[in-house]
Amino acid sequence: MKVLIIGATGYLGPHVVKALEDHHQLLLTDIKPPKENTPHPFQRVDVSSMEQVQRAAEGMDAILNLSVLREHRRIAFDVNALGCYNIMRAAVDHGIRRVINTGPHFTITGPLYEGIDHGITPDVPPHPSTILYALTKSLGQEICRVFSQHHDVYVLDYLFYNFRDPKQVKRGSGGVPFIVSWDDAGEAFRLGLEIELDRLPSRCEIFFISADMPQGKFLNEKTRRVLGFKPKDDLAFLWRRP
Amino acid sequence: MNRRHFLQGAGILLTGGSSLDREAQASSQNERRILITSGETELAQVIADHLGRDRGVRLTGLTAVPSRFPFTACQLDHDSATDELVQGVEAIVHVADPPAGAGEREQIDHLTRRTYNLARAAVDAGVERLLFLSTLELMTGYDEDFLVSERWRPLPTTQPSVLARHLGEYTCREFAREQKLQVIVLRLGKVVKAAAVKGQAADPLWVEEREVAQAVAGALDAKLSDHAQGVGRWRVFNVQSEFPGSRFPVANAKGALGYRPWFKP
Repeated sequence: MKVLIIGATGYLGPHVVKALEDHHQLLLTDIKPPKENTPHPFQRVDVSSMEQVQRAAEGMDAILNLSVLREHRRIAFDVNALGCYNIMRAAVDHGIRRVINTGPHFTITGPLYEGIDHGITPDVPPHPSTILYALTKSLGQEICRVFSQHHDVYVLDYLFYNFRDPKQVKRGSGGVPFIVSWDDAGEAFRLGLEIELDRLPSRCEIFFISADMPQGKFLNEKTRRVLGFKPKDDLAFLWRRP
Repeated sequence: MNRRHFLQGAGILLTGGSSLDREAQASSQNERRILITSGETELAQVIADHLGRDRGVRLTGLTAVPSRFPFTACQLDHDSATDELVQGVEAIVHVADPPAGAGEREQIDHLTRRTYNLARAAVDAGVERLLFLSTLELMTGYDEDFLVSERWRPLPTTQPSVLARHLGEYTCREFAREQKLQVIVLRLGKVVKAAAVKGQAADPLWVEEREVAQAVAGALDAKLSDHAQGVGRWRVFNVQSEFPGSRFPVANAKGALGYRPWFKP
């Protein structure tokens, strides 16, 4: 499959590339080139530019959107919301039927969920809050959802909270109750590219990409059930007594 | 420097010296100060005229235009100009029309980023209420024989003008959810001027612009409380003319806002 990766040189991108490069033909794009040499072609693409996204999408079978901007008011809207609009337009225009979008957990389940509830699943009405990062990503996800309702394009929205390398963290060091290892995160993208689209419950599905967490706050059950996600890295030791 | 020169220097336009102007200037100093966005548009001007009878009204827009009300040009960016714009304002009527001829990018940007900047500044300035003017085109995806009330889920299309309004609602809703602002969404039909459409076949979505102004006035005065159809901080109302063949029921606006549609095409 020819896969366009937008935001390929950020924190998550290299791990996704590592998980996919033996299985798919990758086109890496970002506003900055990769730090290390890569065998994959690279294009400079600003996701907020419709023209650049359209050009990069030509001939692709799937788009992965890993782009993100958290703090600057204007650029956050440009990247997180308008960027999704550009990607979905490009997907429709080029007949690309599979998009994997990404965002933080509070794209859907903001502080009103996290602060109060347990057993939180991704299939709840979005309450992102007014936090700039959360709201702009949530607007982007909503744009993806609306496009999927009107066009033959499937969107898998992967939500993350924190990433850890299990080799770099200590027993008992704790953390937020929604963590995944970089390797398992990459594997989730391989699964998302390989699942047959008609096996998805709808054309827009949201997944929590998380290891099995002992707190029972955010649940990865849907990701396991629908995508066949089986996180290899057990991170529960983060909350076990040293 | 007199007040007029001072205000003009600050980007505030005051025109003429008629009694209407004096009324407008006087009303701008009343306690109930209302800020209306997209002041360049005819709809904003009609709303200002209606509200200006008994409220202090100020207009803002991306481009300054002559007005009998104080007008401040503002890009609604994340900056001190937006912060200053909302100082001393009790309520905002966010008409939220993108500039004429705006492309898809500008339409979405206007309804999301600028709306967010405005709402954020409003919260910081202690503004109590924001009226967001949306569109009933969000609801036309349902079968025409359904009586679609405000409790039905919006069905936005990917047409930028419709999608952008939906995203504007989405943005405002979070401010209401966090109880930072009272938000009233008025979903308008297709806004027309009665004289301009006289003799034409009626569109089931028509709403006369003065009806909109009347609904806005009602929404500014409405008492918000917990209610079976919505919590006090977030309310949505259908606003369109009411005539044989009109598309959406307006009973809730009539009941809660005192809306009295009169236009019969």
